[in-house]
Amino acid sequence: MPSSKPVLAGFVPVLAGFMLVASGLVAGVLPKIDLPKDSPVAVLSADYKDSNETARGGAMLLDLHAALSLRNSSHRRIRGITLLVSAQDVTPGGKGSVTVTSLDIGPDESFPVRIDLRLLRPLQAAPSVPVQISLDGVLFEDLSFYGPDKLSSRRNMTLSEYEARRDRKYFKSLLAEGGPERLRQEMLTSLAHQEDRPSMDVQVVKGARATNFEPEKQVQFAFLQLPDAPIEPVDGMARVAGNEARAPRVEVRNRSDRAIRYLEVGWILQDHGGREFLAGSVPAELNLAPGQKSQILENTTLKFPQPHGGQPLAIDGMTGFISSVEYTDGSVWIPSRADLGTPRLQRIVAPSDEEQRLAQIYRKKGLAALVAELNRF
Amino acid sequence: MKHPNETQLALLAGGDLSLRERWRVRRHVSRCAECENDLQALRRASEQVRELAAELPKDLNWNRLAEEMQGNIRVGLAAGQAIAGFDKPAAIRRPRLGWNAGTVLACASVLFVLAFWANIPRPQAEHLAQALKRIAVHGIGNVPQQPALQQEDVVLEASSTDIEVQENGRTLSLMHPHSDGATVSVSMQGSAGVRFIDSDTGQVTTNKVYYAEQ
Repeated sequence: MPSSKPVLAGFVPVLAGFMLVASGLVAGVLPKIDLPKDSPVAVLSADYKDSNETARGGAMLLDLHAALSLRNSSHRRIRGITLLVSAQDVTPGGKGSVTVTSLDIGPDESFPVRIDLRLLRPLQAAPSVPVQISLDGVLFEDLSFYGPDKLSSRRNMTLSEYEARRDRKYFKSLLAEGGPERLRQEMLTSLAHQEDRPSMDVQVVKGARATNFEPEKQVQFAFLQLPDAPIEPVDGMARVAGNEARAPRVEVRNRSDRAIRYLEVGWILQDHGGREFLAGSVPAELNLAPGQKSQILENTTLKFPQPHGGQPLAIDGMTGFISSVEYTDGSVWIPSRADLGTPRLQRIVAPSDEEQRLAQIYRKKGLAALVAELNRF
Repeated sequence: MKHPNETQLALLAGGDLSLRERWRVRRHVSRCAECENDLQALRRASEQVRELAAELPKDLNWNRLAEEMQGNIRVGLAAGQAIAGFDKPAAIRRPRLGWNAGTVLACASVLFVLAFWANIPRPQAEHLAQALKRIAVHGIGNVPQQPALQQEDVVLEASSTDIEVQENGRTLSLMHPHSDGATVSVSMQGSAGVRFIDSDTGQVTTNKVYYAEQ
């Protein structure tokens, strides 16, 4: 009878090779976390459980699940953080970001950030896909900022913090005027609006028109005038074809006494059935002196795919409103609670980050926890 | 001295000359070396013909063979006349109907192209013109070399389950857990995002994907 030892011995290098390949795959999945030496946050731990890379058809699919624990290594309280996620080998032009706002992290306190990333690339592409996670910015309690700000994180997080302060002030005033019961009613109203708010999946195609072959027409913007907005939208139009809207053009005038360097126009679309939803925003970086007019142009196409089991969207009308403004000194303007309280905007515009967070506290922990949270600020 | 002609020499060599003529021609040949040489050559040729004739079948019917040869010649002449019709050039036929049909088809094609161009929506007309231009420059079946990143190829997609940037068949997606309050937002400057509440931590997280220039 032949001995089985040579056969078993033959399996050893095979097993070793398999383990080497497996460890290589795992190593290829792990991202490179790149924080500056003087970063106000430090990585305490990183867990990549369930991350893997598998072949699917003619492509490689990388699933990265990163649970990071970060520590505030500065002496200021952190209000928001943005991490930049990129994979140069897969999407040299595209990148992603994960932003956590409405934070209140004191010095030496830690907080979690979760990144769930999926990369799909052809099999013949480079074998290793280094995912890089870097810091784009940190916003502090005093609205000071740290970071390279490649993604305009400073502005975005500052706007979010302004909204958070506005909404906390509003809810605290309700609490002071009407007691906890008034706050409860407002929370219930907010939760109902969040649930009823219409939402659509959307595609953004840079450049020319996408794929729709229906005849294209020019549709004029109607504007919601917010009385205290520093910008007045004067005129605007966009090209519409079926479920696509593209190339918006909006003319605005600075009616304030301060120079403006950035603004955003909220873009509401109506379909043939009269339904309305917030399609997106038309931002513009400009230098607009008091009283001056300017035109905003974007050569981008928005496409709204047919919802599962639903009717394809047929765009019929458009409405615009000024949703945010940044002055040249870095201060910002956002719509007031009164502006957002108009029935039309209340139905369409999403609540702020902070209102959503407070509503979640009320839903999960109750009114007492919400009152305690408001009293922390 | 008058030389005998070739026929007289050939008849002499074959033994077919009359007595009187045989005496007269022999008398000349005996005195003329040139005619003697010709006569000898004719006799050798006659001898060779006799030898070849000895190899033919003894019962060969010469009359029948002659008739068959004449018949074959007639058949060959008839076949040649029949084939000659096919070898005539096509230009001899009058192609009046072909030219007329071609003219009608050309006119119909021009009318169709004009009507199609007049009725096609402007964006499609531009698209078609660009496609024809590409074909004219690169030819059919030749894919023009594209730059590594062409902005028209980049698509951002935002849904209630994930957001992604697609570029040249490659995709980068940021996923988020199911959340009741997930809010989709896009910016015409080239970003798409989803805001959601982490049910474990209660944190407000916004995932975004961007174009290159962002």
